[in-house]
Amino acid sequence: MTSRTTETVEPGEIVLWDARHDSHDRIATRTFGFWLYMLSDAMIFAALFTVYAILGHNYAGGPTAAQILHPGRALIETLVVFTSVLAFGLGMSALKHGNRSAVLNWIAVAFVLGVAFVGLEIQAFAHLANHGIVPQRSAFLSAFYTIVLTHGLHMVFGLLWMAVMAVQVLRDGFTDNVVYRLLNLRIFWHFQAVIWVCVFVFIYL
Amino acid sequence: MLVNLHGPWSPLVGRLALPQIPYDNPLVVGAFFFSLAIAVALAVGVTSAGRWGYLWREWLTTVDHKKIGVMYILVGMVMLFRGFIDAVMIRTQQVMAVGAHSAGHLGALHGYMPPFHFDQVYSAHGAIMIFFAATPILVGLMNIVVPLQIGARDMAYPYLNAVGLWLTVAAAALVMLSLFVGDFSHAGWIGLTPLTELPYSPGVGVDYWLWSVQISSLGTTLGAINLIATIIKMRAPGMRWSRLPIFSWTSLSANIIAVTTFPVLTAALLLLTLDRYLGTHFFTAGMGGNLMLYTNLFWVWGHPEVYFLVLPAFGALSEIIPTFSGKPLFGYATMVLASFGIAGISWTTWLHHFFTMGAGPSINTFFSLATMTVGIFTGVKVFNWAFTMYRGRLRFDTPMLWAMAAVFLLLPGGLTGLMVAMVPADYQVHNSVFLVAHFHNMIAVIAFAALGAISYWFPKVFGFKLDEPLGKRVFWYWVAGSLMVFVPMYLLGFMGMTRRLDYVSHPSWLPLLVLEEVGIGLYCIAAYYQVKQLYVSVRDRHVNRVGADAWGMARSMEWMTHSPVPFYNFAVTPRVHARDEWAWRREQGLTSLHPDGFQDIHMPKNTAVPLILGGLSCALGFGLVWRIWWLSAVSLAAIMGTVIARAFEKDTDYVISAVELERLDAGHAASSPEPQTVGIVAGGGLASRQAPSSRHPGD
Amino acid sequence: MDTRIFRTLAGCSTSLLALMLGGCSTRHFWLFHPHGPVAGTEMHIMGIDVLILLIIIVPTALLLVWFLWHYRASREHSTYAPNWSHSTAIELIVWGVPVVTVAVLGYIAFQGIREVNPYDPTVVVSRAGENPLTVDVITTDWKWLFLYPKQHIATVDRLVVPVQTPVRFKLTSATVTNSIFIPELVGQIYIMPGMRTEQSMLANRPGTYEGFSATQSGPGFTWMQFQTKALSEAGFRHWVHRTQQGSRVLTYTAFNKLARPSIDTEGKTIQYARVQPGLFDHVIEEVRDGKVFPTHWAMTEHMSRGTSN
Repeated sequence: MTSRTTETVEPGEIVLWDARHDSHDRIATRTFGFWLYMLSDAMIFAALFTVYAILGHNYAGGPTAAQILHPGRALIETLVVFTSVLAFGLGMSALKHGNRSAVLNWIAVAFVLGVAFVGLEIQAFAHLANHGIVPQRSAFLSAFYTIVLTHGLHMVFGLLWMAVMAVQVLRDGFTDNVVYRLLNLRIFWHFQAVIWVCVFVFIYL
Repeated sequence: MLVNLHGPWSPLVGRLALPQIPYDNPLVVGAFFFSLAIAVALAVGVTSAGRWGYLWREWLTTVDHKKIGVMYILVGMVMLFRGFIDAVMIRTQQVMAVGAHSAGHLGALHGYMPPFHFDQVYSAHGAIMIFFAATPILVGLMNIVVPLQIGARDMAYPYLNAVGLWLTVAAAALVMLSLFVGDFSHAGWIGLTPLTELPYSPGVGVDYWLWSVQISSLGTTLGAINLIATIIKMRAPGMRWSRLPIFSWTSLSANIIAVTTFPVLTAALLLLTLDRYLGTHFFTAGMGGNLMLYTNLFWVWGHPEVYFLVLPAFGALSEIIPTFSGKPLFGYATMVLASFGIAGISWTTWLHHFFTMGAGPSINTFFSLATMTVGIFTGVKVFNWAFTMYRGRLRFDTPMLWAMAAVFLLLPGGLTGLMVAMVPADYQVHNSVFLVAHFHNMIAVIAFAALGAISYWFPKVFGFKLDEPLGKRVFWYWVAGSLMVFVPMYLLGFMGMTRRLDYVSHPSWLPLLVLEEVGIGLYCIAAYYQVKQLYVSVRDRHVNRVGADAWGMARSMEWMTHSPVPFYNFAVTPRVHARDEWAWRREQGLTSLHPDGFQDIHMPKNTAVPLILGGLSCALGFGLVWRIWWLSAVSLAAIMGTVIARAFEKDTDYVISAVELERLDAGHAASSPEPQTVGIVAGGGLASRQAPSSRHPGD
Repeated sequence: MDTRIFRTLAGCSTSLLALMLGGCSTRHFWLFHPHGPVAGTEMHIMGIDVLILLIIIVPTALLLVWFLWHYRASREHSTYAPNWSHSTAIELIVWGVPVVTVAVLGYIAFQGIREVNPYDPTVVVSRAGENPLTVDVITTDWKWLFLYPKQHIATVDRLVVPVQTPVRFKLTSATVTNSIFIPELVGQIYIMPGMRTEQSMLANRPGTYEGFSATQSGPGFTWMQFQTKALSEAGFRHWVHRTQQGSRVLTYTAFNKLARPSIDTEGKTIQYARVQPGLFDHVIEEVRDGKVFPTHWAMTEHMSRGTSN
């Protein structure tokens, strides 16, 4: 390692300063940082899943998972979120060709499907709450509500982000800033689908 | 309301009520007027010097990593002082309240603080020292040094860097507010359940603790993302991984710990918050809750956290010791390996904080073994530092004194650590003052390394050295204070004294407690000399001016910038040829800092947004603590609006032309003292060389 | 200048150390005066641990001191090797010795944990035909309640046990987490609400020992102490008999009153002649169903002698 670590140089050929090096690939740096953020977000969900694993059977004499969870409905929600992610992915393909109207259209589709997902979820929880099945009843319900609604809250932030991006695409077109933000949003949106799959498999099934 | 809250609640001011302001407690009232006096003095000083514009432009709205680092360290030092006052109060209470016949004052049965106040003081002491003193100081050091060491112009995300700083400041402000409005947590810095649940902590104290820790942890997580991205993406050309300076390596491993474990703390605090605010049952004793779950989640974060603090400290030692030995670091590769080994294993040791929770022999054995394994990696580091000094030329400037004391303190710290890792022994000393002495011993290692690092890199940032004689005096009083407080504390642990006692029922413990009080007095003297050192150093700064290589025998690339470092760091990005690039250039006689061929550079613009976000976060925290829902909602909306508005800001960078850059750089070179080329050249002997002009292709 | 300060400090610290060690009689070092096999084993293991570690730490410290003295810059004649920074031999030693040490310590830990395992310590052995004493412990805010299910009696803030007899504890809390610690007899185990932990101990000889909670449990935590009296077997039987002659009864209702948050600053003890059966399990059940004994807001903001506010 030492011979490669230190260069042996001929006196006339040393380059001490590199004036051309100033700009780093801005988009790559931004998306890399966002992956790091996603790592931290994944850890939050990992902690929440651990909590659910430990508290998931503590019914305290109240409603059990089998009694209140409907895999069929959750499957519908899964399909909705998958198509939303697919739509957004297609929008990113359009981005590669610089097709502004296609990108906007696909974002709109993803947005509508995302809203549908959130709507379905709110409807399900309102139904539960109306029947007195509330997070204060038992540890299982606390854990269930929290993990699903945390995911839902992430979805809501993603939708808000999509709206902002739509405005930015309309106003600025595909500048460096807009592009890296769209790429980050793509990572975020895909991640929400992955987390939903985990929710679906470990909680609903 | 979903939960049963003691006391009044109104939609306008939430739980705020006049009895929440401790106007009848002379200590708090005194603290209030003291703080007010300092704030007023500072405001008057800045106004009379006409420096509000300067303050706003150069510091409050900056995104420059060096200034942000300085502000981090400043916040850390101020909160270190606050935490120190808490320590003085703890020690004084314990020495006064010994025996059933000891007098009671100010509402206490014994001593001068009843449990209601004493419990807050030690909880604040712990929380402040970890979250608001140690973390900001070390994060500040990493902020200043890492971009310079890797030849970058700033961190990867300068705006995010500033956001992290102001979130930390907001959280610290929240802690300081808790002193004057309401109370702080009574349940220790850890916040174990179910003591922190609403029935057993009915006041706002735990809420202050929850939100201040939550907000500052968010800042730390963002900072960790920033540092990792900077080290991975922004290295100068030629800086292969095998040439990365050791401090940057330890910063990388520390921040990988941070980005993976702080979210676990976020989750744990979130769930406790839900228990307190919505009446859920995550950690309650009843209704299916599992109080042990909080302990596990907290310490899954908590143990890696201490390695997040210790690794940059070790990195600083690995920079200081080679510089003041005149030799490269011994065993660079194994040091890097050991750093990542520590980081990795730290993830598997958390249960050693609660061996006595009753986990059963197999589980306890596993965690005991894992904990002891960390000792292997740490031991390797100690020996590598020793062999760095072997056959070196040791100079004992202040940074080296701090470094040596840190290494010596690591020996008993590690020994006692391996004692508590031995489970049967831990059954006797868990939660005793022996344990307190052990972890303060380790914290002293971190503190000494941090103080050494500050005096080491201070000349680089500010262009002049700190006063040496006073620095040495500060050092010796710190050492004396540490010995006088913690050696008796170890002994008290063997006598059976447990921690967090506001009333000490056994008079046989008094002599050692008196010695500890003397020790705190020595720390007070150290604090006095520290302030004096800063004053004298600033006053005499023109006498102590230094050039780029402030210590004369530094090795890594940050010493290739002018002192103080220009806002753009390097006028032209250097190309790296070796580990210890500056030492290599000295050996080759290439010590000129003047590049030919300047180019335009992009720099990020100042922005007030991070400051605004900090202020809004403080308001949000305050609103949530007091359950002032309208304030919370408005602050949250404003935060989101500000973030979105910033996203629409297109004018965030500016360009410095090549001509302008050359002019600036010539100015810095002209105002620097002659570079100290006290370079030690291979083959022995000292030589002083004038640097020949650098050569470039095309010359 | 440095050496002068150093010498002064060295002198001060040596004399203070002498003062410290000379002034305290070792009798007060509870951890070094075990009176039972569990505490005794724990002390022995700690001692072996320290000795093994000192074998590494002391030479390391001496090595560091020697390097500092020998290679200081003001000393002209030491070898200076500015390019030497690697040695495989040294690396093997500095990795190998800690690995071996940790392996040895790990083995000691593995054995030792089973010897003092709270759920079944191998060092607490019943003599043939001997019945262990069962004591159920309930902690409240901020009292210790010791139930003797076989004898149907209970005591508050006082534990009485016969010597040379294994004592098996079952522990729960009515409120928050505590831990039981009797330094001269047995190490700690947590006591948690809604749960049951266990501990075992044995007292070698008659005596009075201090016990307390080592885990902070709120404002009254500091006063949560209890005396442990180890009596001869005859003395213990006599004590049980006398207690059973008393008049106080501990019903579930009486327990709820006892468990209200209160701080006993006077060190009072209470004896119950009869205990409603199943109290221990009842308390666990109630806590699991959500029972709490809430702390008063701003409790102990002002304390005066004799009040348990």
